[in-house]
Amino acid sequence: MLELYHSEPNTFFLKPLIALHEKQARFESRWFDADQLEQFTAELPDTIEARLHLEREGPLLVHDGTVISNAFFMLEYIAEGLPGESLLPDTAYDRYRMHASGQFLGAHLGSLVPILGCVKYTVPRLAAMDRARLDACLEQVAPVERRQNWLALLDGTYTPQILDTARERLKFPVTRVESQLANGPWLAGPRYSIADIDAFAMLRVLPDLTPSLVNSQATPRICDFIARIEARPAVRAALATSRSGTPERHFVPGVEPSRWG
Amino acid sequence: MTVHLYHWEPNANSGKPMLALAEKGVDFESHYIDLLKFDQHQPDYLKINPDGTIPALVHGDRVLTESTPMMEYADDAFDGPPLRPSNPVERWRMRWWMRFFDSYFAPSASMIGWSIFVGPAVRQRPKEELEAAIARIPLESRRIAWRKAMFNEFSEAELAESKRRVLFCIGILEEHLTRHEWIAGSTYSLGDMNGFNLGYAMPLSQPDYCNDTRTPRTMEWLRRIYERPAAKKIWALGRTAMAQRVKFLERPAHA
Repeated sequence: MLELYHSEPNTFFLKPLIALHEKQARFESRWFDADQLEQFTAELPDTIEARLHLEREGPLLVHDGTVISNAFFMLEYIAEGLPGESLLPDTAYDRYRMHASGQFLGAHLGSLVPILGCVKYTVPRLAAMDRARLDACLEQVAPVERRQNWLALLDGTYTPQILDTARERLKFPVTRVESQLANGPWLAGPRYSIADIDAFAMLRVLPDLTPSLVNSQATPRICDFIARIEARPAVRAALATSRSGTPERHFVPGVEPSRWG
Repeated sequence: MTVHLYHWEPNANSGKPMLALAEKGVDFESHYIDLLKFDQHQPDYLKINPDGTIPALVHGDRVLTESTPMMEYADDAFDGPPLRPSNPVERWRMRWWMRFFDSYFAPSASMIGWSIFVGPAVRQRPKEELEAAIARIPLESRRIAWRKAMFNEFSEAELAESKRRVLFCIGILEEHLTRHEWIAGSTYSLGDMNGFNLGYAMPLSQPDYCNDTRTPRTMEWLRRIYERPAAKKIWALGRTAMAQRVKFLERPAHA
C-alpha cells in the first residue's frame, strides 16, 4: 500500500502528488495541516531519515511500511519503482542532468523560495495564533535546526535586508533555469521528467513572490514552462487536492541556507 | 571514448568520481588541478567548467560538474559492476545519505578543515595576490567561502556549531551502521564511496568521539572501504600529506 503524508499541494508537498498522479498510482492521502503545525502533533512515521528531514519540512511516502523522505528522492523512487508513464530521461547524460538539477535547485530554490513564501503567508497566520500554544508546540520540535527554522519566522530574523538578499540570490538559479530552457522545452533532455516536476513546484510561486524577477518579459521561458506544466491533467489533479483552494499561499520552512554565508 | 577527470586530491568532492570510476573499472585520464594554487579559477580550466569548481568529468562532448550526480553517471553510463542497489528502497536510502553527507556533514566538516588546513596553507602569500585570486572566482558562494578561509573569518560560534554538527553526524552514522552493513543497506554502493570521501578523516579530526571504542561500526566500515583495491588505487594518486593520512586505516599487524 502507498500512503502519502502531505499538506497543501505547494512546493515540497506538490512534487510527489504530481508524480503519483502522472503514474496514475493508487495511494492513500494522509493530509495534515502544516499551518496548524499538525506535523508535530499527528502521529507521523518515524525513522532516522524521516526525523532528520533534510528539507526540514515536507512529505513522507510510506510504501508497504517503508518510509521514504525527501521530495526529490521520493520523485526518483516513484519514477523508478512504480508502473506507468516513464518520468525518467532516456539517456545516462540526461539522467545526470536530472540528478544535477535536483541537487542544484534543491539547494538554491529549496532554501530561498520557502523563506519568501513563509514571510508573506505563514508569518501572518502564526501571528494570529496563541503564542503560548505555539511556543509549547515548537519547544518539542527536533532536531534543533527544524525548530530554529520555525522560530526564525517569529523572532525577526527575516529583516527587509535579509529578504532583499534572498531575492538577489534567487537571480542565480532563475537565470540558470531560464538559459537551460533556451536549449529545449524540458530541463533534462527532450522529454518531460521528474526534473521538471521538481523545478515547477518551486518556480510556480515566484511570479507572485518576486514579480520583478519572474515575469513574462524577464523570464518568458520559465513562464511558458510553468503554463505548460500547469496544463497537464496530472498537475491539475494534484493541485485539486487543495483544501484551501489557494495552495500557492501555503508554505513551510525549507532547506537551510548555506552556513558559509 | 576517453574519460577525462579534472580533480584535486582524492578527498571530498574530487575523490567521489575518482573512487566511483575506479570501482566501475573505468580508466580515466587524470588532470590534477591544484586547489591550493587556485588552478580551478585559471582561464584554461574555466573553459572546461565556467563555474570554476572541481571536479569536472569530460566524456566525449559531455561535461559533468556536479560530483554526486557524476557518481551516478559513472554507474549509469559504463559497463562494470553495479554501484547502485537494484532494490528501490536501498537505492533511495543511498541517495538520502549521500545528500545528508553532502549538505549536512560536509559543510561543517569542511569549515573546520578549511580553518585549520586550507586557510593557513594559502595565507602566507601576499594579501594582494589572495585578493586577486578571489576576484577570479566565478561563483559568489565560492568567493565568500574562499574569503572566509583565506582571512580566517570564521567566528567561534560558527566553528562551535560546525563541531556540534560533526559530532551529531558521527553519532547518527554509527547508529545507522549498527542497523545496516553498508550505507544503502546490504549492498556496497555509491553511498559508501561518498561517505568515505567526505568522512574518512573523522577519526583523525575527532579522535575522542570517533574511534574503535566509541564508534566500532564506523571504524570497521572505513577500513573495509579502504581495503578495497579501488580505494588503494585512487589514494595512490594523492600528492600531498593530506591524502597520505588515509593510511591510518591500515589494520594493526597483529589484528
